[in-house]
Amino acid sequence: MIGYAARRLVAAIPTLLLVAASVFLLMRLIPGDPAQLMLGDAATPEEVEALRRSMGLGEALPLQFAHWAGAALTGDLGRSITNGLPVLPLILERFGVTALIVLVAVGLAVLIAVPLGMLAAWKQNRPADLAVVGFATLMLSIPSFWLGLILLLVFGVWLRWLPVVGFVPFSEDIGAALAYVVLPITTLVLIEIGALTRMARAATIDVLRLDYISHARAKGLSEFTVLRRHALPNAFAPTLTLIGLVLGNLLGGIAVIETVFTLPGLGRLLVEAIFQRDYPVVQGVMLFVAAIYVAVNLFVDLAYPVFDPRVTAE
Amino acid sequence: MTLRLNLVLGGLLLAAVAGTAATASVWTPFNPVAVNLRRRLAAPTDPYWLGTDEFGRDVLSRLMVGASTGLTVALVTVLVAMALGITIGLLAGFFRGWTDRALMALNDALLAFPGILFALGLLTVIGPSKWGIVLALGLAYAPAVARVVRGSVLSLREREFVEASRALGNSEAYTLWRHVAPNCVSPLTVLATSMFGWVILSESALSFLGLGVPPPAPTWGNMLAAARPYLETATWLSIAPGVMIALSLLGTNLLGDALRDILDPRT
Amino acid sequence: MILRRAALALCGLLLALPAAAQEATLRARMNADIRSTDPGTNRDANTDTVVLHMVEGLVAFREDTSIGPLLAERVDTSEDGLTYTFTLREGVRFHNGAVLTSADVKFAWDRYLRRETNWRCLPEFDGRGATRVAAIETPDPRTVVFRIERPSALFLTNMARPDCGGSGIYHRDSLNADGSWRAPIGTGPFRMGEWRRNQFIELTRFPGYAALPGQPDGHTGNKTALVDRVRWIIIPDSAAAKAALLSGAIDIDHDIASQDVQEMRARSDIRLAPVQSMGMAGLLFQTNDPLLRDVRIRRAIALSLDAPELVRAVSDGLVTYNPSVIPSASPFHGAVQREGYTRDIPEAQRLLRQAGYRGQTIRMLATRRYNAILDMAVLIQAQAAEAGITLEFEVIDWATQLDRYTRGDYAMMPFLYSARLDPSLSYEMVSGPKASQPRKVWDNPEVEALLRESMVTRDTGRRQAIFDQLHRRMLADVPMVVLYNDAAVGAYRTNVQGYRAWSTGQPRYWGVRIN
Repeated sequence: MIGYAARRLVAAIPTLLLVAASVFLLMRLIPGDPAQLMLGDAATPEEVEALRRSMGLGEALPLQFAHWAGAALTGDLGRSITNGLPVLPLILERFGVTALIVLVAVGLAVLIAVPLGMLAAWKQNRPADLAVVGFATLMLSIPSFWLGLILLLVFGVWLRWLPVVGFVPFSEDIGAALAYVVLPITTLVLIEIGALTRMARAATIDVLRLDYISHARAKGLSEFTVLRRHALPNAFAPTLTLIGLVLGNLLGGIAVIETVFTLPGLGRLLVEAIFQRDYPVVQGVMLFVAAIYVAVNLFVDLAYPVFDPRVTAE
Repeated sequence: MTLRLNLVLGGLLLAAVAGTAATASVWTPFNPVAVNLRRRLAAPTDPYWLGTDEFGRDVLSRLMVGASTGLTVALVTVLVAMALGITIGLLAGFFRGWTDRALMALNDALLAFPGILFALGLLTVIGPSKWGIVLALGLAYAPAVARVVRGSVLSLREREFVEASRALGNSEAYTLWRHVAPNCVSPLTVLATSMFGWVILSESALSFLGLGVPPPAPTWGNMLAAARPYLETATWLSIAPGVMIALSLLGTNLLGDALRDILDPRT
Repeated sequence: MILRRAALALCGLLLALPAAAQEATLRARMNADIRSTDPGTNRDANTDTVVLHMVEGLVAFREDTSIGPLLAERVDTSEDGLTYTFTLREGVRFHNGAVLTSADVKFAWDRYLRRETNWRCLPEFDGRGATRVAAIETPDPRTVVFRIERPSALFLTNMARPDCGGSGIYHRDSLNADGSWRAPIGTGPFRMGEWRRNQFIELTRFPGYAALPGQPDGHTGNKTALVDRVRWIIIPDSAAAKAALLSGAIDIDHDIASQDVQEMRARSDIRLAPVQSMGMAGLLFQTNDPLLRDVRIRRAIALSLDAPELVRAVSDGLVTYNPSVIPSASPFHGAVQREGYTRDIPEAQRLLRQAGYRGQTIRMLATRRYNAILDMAVLIQAQAAEAGITLEFEVIDWATQLDRYTRGDYAMMPFLYSARLDPSLSYEMVSGPKASQPRKVWDNPEVEALLRESMVTRDTGRRQAIFDQLHRRMLADVPMVVLYNDAAVGAYRTNVQGYRAWSTGQPRYWGVRIN
C-alpha cells in the first residue's frame, strides 16, 4: 500500500508539470497584460513596454517558464505582479479560508446526504423516497450564487442575524469567525447535497440487489444492521469518488461563493488574478490546486479498498 | 408503476421545454432582443405576461429563446463530456498499468484545472460563443466522467462474470465492450443527468463571473445573472429563469431515473 | 440626597462610557484592494484615494478642479513661465513628528524624477510630455524653486493629479535602507494603520495634522480628520456591498451601482450623494476599419442614436447627454460643448446609401466588467438597427478589451475613460497619431497642433477658443460619439455627516463625522 502510494506520487509529477506548462502557456495566449491593466487608458506603448520589462515579462517565453519552474521547484513561486507579495504565503493564507469552508461543507453534506440517500434507496419508490429525490433535485437546480444571495438577503439584511461581509480568522475570535462562515457553508452544503444524495441512493440500490444482502436478510439480521454493516460500506465507494470530484470542483466553483460573501479565499484570489493577468499568482494557485487535487484523489483511491473489498489497491 | 410515472412526468416536462424551444424558433410574442426603454422593468401584465427586463425586453420571449440555447448547450456539452470521459475511463480502468497511469495523469491534469480558468482561457483564445462554452465545459466535465467510469470498471473487472468471459477466451476488447461497459450505465445515467444540471448552472455561474454566453442572446443563465441586482425590486426577473432551470432539471432527473431502471442489466 | 447624587453620577458614567470607550471608525467600501502605498507608482484609482489621505503635495485640486496651494503657502511664477517658486507653510509636520522642510520636498521629488521609481507622471516632467524639470533648488528651508525648460499650462495641474499621487511629499523614512518603498510617512490628516490584504485597509487619525483654515475644498482646504479611523473594507461585488450597507456593516459606499439608486433613495436609513463625475463614456470608432474609415458611415451611426434617451437609460436618469470630451463639471464646458448629434434616421439612411453600405455586419466589443459598457452596447445595437445598421457583439473580459483598445484592434466599442481634470488632458486622451500610439481614436495633424497650443498658452480665453474649435471639429470628424460623464452616486447611512461627493470621483473622508 505504501509502495502504491509512493508510485502514485511519482506518477503525479508529470501531471503537475503538464498543469504548470499549460497554465503558463494559456495565460500568455490570453490577450491583455498586467502592465497595460496597471497603466490603464492613458499609457503610451513605451510606458507599457518599460513596465513589462520591469515586471520581468520582457524575456522569451521558454526562458520565463524555465526561471519560474526552476524557482517553483525550490518552493519559491515568485511575487504577485499587482501587489508585490510573495505568492506562496499568499496562497497558504487564502487556502486556509477556502479549505475550512469546503471541508466543513463537504463533511456536513456527506453526513446528511449518505443517510438520506440510503433511506431513499431502502424505501425505494415510496413517499419517503420521492420526497428525498424531489429535495435532491431541487437542490441540484438552484444556482449557488442565487441561493447565496437569497440567504444573505434573508439572514443578513432582513433578519440581521448574521454579518453579510468580511471574514475573521478563527485564531482571532472563534465566535465571530463562525458567524461569518455560517452562510457560505450553508449555501455549499445545500448545493452539494443534491448530487451526493442521488449518488448515495443509486449506489445503495445497486448494493441492495446483490446476493449477499439477501443472504444477510435471510440470516435474520435486522434491516438496520443490514443497511449499516453491509450496504453502507459498499454504497459509500462510488460516493467517495464523487466526493473527490466535488472537493476539486469546489475549489474552482467556490470563487462564486467567495465573491458573494466576500471571503478572502483561494477561488477569489484565482479569479481576480486571472482578470488582472497576475501571471505568477495564477500559475502558483493552479499548481497548488493541482497538487491538492492529486492528493485528494490519491486518498480516495487508497480509501477505495477499505470500503469496497472487491477492489485491491495494487 | 412508479417507473411509468417517472418516465411520463420526466418526459412531459422535457417535451414541454423542448416544445418551447421549438416554438421559439418560429414564433415569440415579441422580438426577444428588441429594446423598449419606456417599458423598463415592467411587472407582469397583459401584453408582457412575464414582465420586462432592465432594457424593456419581453421576458417571456427571452425565456423561450433561452430554452433552445440552454438545451442545445447543455445537451451537446454532456455528449462531448460523456464521449471523452467514457473512452478515457474504460481504457484506463480496464487496462490499468501504464495506460492507466498515462491516461490518469492527463485526466488529473485536466481535472485539476478549475473550469473557470479553462473557460476563460478557451473562450478568449477561440472567441466567445456558445460553442466555446460547450467545448470548455465539455472538456472540464470529461475527467469527472472518466473517474466514475474507471472507478466502476475497477470494481467490475474483479467480478465473476468478467473473469468468466476471460476464461472463455474472449478478447479483452470484447469483454470490455460486452460485459464491462453495460455495467457502467447505471452510475453514468445518474452522472449524466446531474451533469446536465451542472452545465446549465455552470453557464449561469460563468455569466455571473462575466464569461457566459454573450448577450444580447438570452440564456436562462445570463438572464438569471443579469437579474441579480433586481432581486428585491423586480423579483420576476429572477423567478422566471430560475423556475425554468428547476423544471428542466426535474424533467431530466426523472427521465434519468426511469432510464436507469430500464437499462440496468441486473433487472 | 447622597443617593440621588450617586445615581446621577452613575447615570453620567453610563452615558459617558460608550463615548469614551468607543473610537469613531468610519467603515467605507472599496471595490478592490489597493496595489501599494507608494504614491503614483504601482497604483489605480483606489490606491490614489487611500494614498491621498496620507500624503499631500505642494498644490492640489480645489473642488472646482482649479489648482490651489496645499503644502505651499504661495506659488509664484516668473514672467516667462519657466520658474515656479513655492513657499512652504510653517508648522507642517510629518506623521513621525519631523517638521516639513524644502529638503524633504527635494528628496521626494528627486525620487519621483528617477526612472527606477516608475512614477506614472514622469513623462510630464522629464521632457517627453508637458515639460522638463531642469532643476529643483532649495535656497532656504521654506522655499523650493522649480526651473522648467518649456512653459506649460499644465505644470501645476500635473503636479496635483490624483493618479500622480498628487506628487505627495513623504519623509525619507518612508523608504527602506535600500531605497525601496516601505510605508508612507506623509503630512496628511491620516496615517497608515493596518493593511490586511484583500480584506481591509485602515488609516488612523494624525493628531498633529496642520490644517488649513476654512472648509474642505477638493484635495485642499481644511482637511481635519473628524473620525479616529477610516477602514476601507474590500467588497468587490456590488450586490454584496449593497447588503453590507443596508445591514450597517459599512457606513458608506462612495460609488454604488446605478441600478440600486432607486431602491436606496426610497430608504429612510440611507442618504445619497450623487455627482456628475469627470470620467467619460463614449462610443469609439476605429477610423482605419475598412468600413468605418468612411466618415459617412460613422456619421450615420451617430445620427441613428437617440443619445439623450440612451444616456437616460444607461444612467437610470441620473445624468444627461454630454456631446463633448470636456466634462460637464469643467469650467471650460459652455454652450458650444452642448452642441451634439440629433437623431435623424432618414439622414442616416441617406448617408448609408451614399456610402454604399449594404447591411454588412460591424463588430462591436463589449465587456461585462462594467455594466455601463454592456448596457451602452445593447442600446446602441438596438437603436442602430432601426436605421438598418447591423451590429454584432463580441463580449470579452476587461483586460482583453483594454488590450484591444491599446492596440486599436476593434471596429467600434463603448468605452469608459477615467477622469481627466483639464480639457487639454481630455483631448490628449483621445487624439494623437495612430501610427505610434494605436490607442488614439482621433488622428488629425491639425487637431494635434491646436492641442499643443492649448497646453502651452496660459491665456484662458485663448484656451476656451481652442476647445470650442476642437469640439466642432470632432462633431464633423466623428472619430467617436461622446455620450456622457457617468454619475457617481455615493450612499451612506444617516449617522454619517459631512460627506460630499466630488466630480473627480475621489472620495474624501476628512471632514466626515460619524454619530
